[in-house]
Amino acid sequence: MTKDKALEELFLAQTPHFTDGDAFMVSLTKRLDAVEYLKQYQERTIRRYKMAMVVAFVVGIISGAVTIALILSTPADVPLFTFHVQTGFLLWLAQNSRLFAATTLSLLMTAGIFSIISNVQDIIEMRTRLETL
Amino acid sequence: MTRETFITYVEREQEALRGFLLALCCGNKDDADDLAQDALVKAYLSSSGYQDKGRFRSWLFKIAHNTFLNHRASQRTMESIDEARTLVSNTSADAEFLHQDLYLALSTLPPKERSAITLFYLSGYRVKEIAQITDTSEDAIKKQLSRGRDKLKKELTMENGL
Repeated sequence: MTKDKALEELFLAQTPHFTDGDAFMVSLTKRLDAVEYLKQYQERTIRRYKMAMVVAFVVGIISGAVTIALILSTPADVPLFTFHVQTGFLLWLAQNSRLFAATTLSLLMTAGIFSIISNVQDIIEMRTRLETL
Repeated sequence: MTRETFITYVEREQEALRGFLLALCCGNKDDADDLAQDALVKAYLSSSGYQDKGRFRSWLFKIAHNTFLNHRASQRTMESIDEARTLVSNTSADAEFLHQDLYLALSTLPPKERSAITLFYLSGYRVKEIAQITDTSEDAIKKQLSRGRDKLKKELTMENGL
């Protein structure tokens, strides 16, 4: 495609020249410093988040295993807890105390696992956002 | 790319980049410099993915062009040509500003035509390179250049005769 001579000359004659190049670069360097700071801060936050998650996971597994072991180590014919009240529902609850304790613990562990999965997803999203920033 | 290398490259190219954005912003130096800074920060953040093939300027112009289009898209109200004329004359009171007629004429072009014309006449890129920078086909660029040139000549003739 050929250039229109008149337009080309007009553009060439009016090419802007900037005298504030140094000020522009100083301003850019300041922005880059701020961006670096934010980037490092986000990376540190992700690292801390990751560490907290690993600690929570390990503590959860250990405490879960210990509690289940304790439940299983108690005699099967003795209830885990009693209410010292002879009403129908509470009596039934005391008789099935091992089952309830195990179920409650399982539910708590499931909630913990869901929370860990959600945290992992958050971290992945944060990383993606950081990379595409 | 290290930060030092990036800054060295930018020092070399900043004038061309700012000139390009100044034309796209129709002489509004504050807007052009803000966009240039935004584009350079974006470029810095994605500089790890840049492969040095001696096309740093094209790569920078591509980011700047996208930044300009995003900026335009974020401005919800479209200014009429008359408003654009007022805007140009008001914000161009800078003592260094000598190109009012050209910027005034450029302000009447849609952003894509303005980009194509600026890259072709001001930055000296060929149609193929402009197509790569703007992510458009060569045919589309040729049409934009043809339409833009006609409009620009008409505007400039109306103003002071080209």
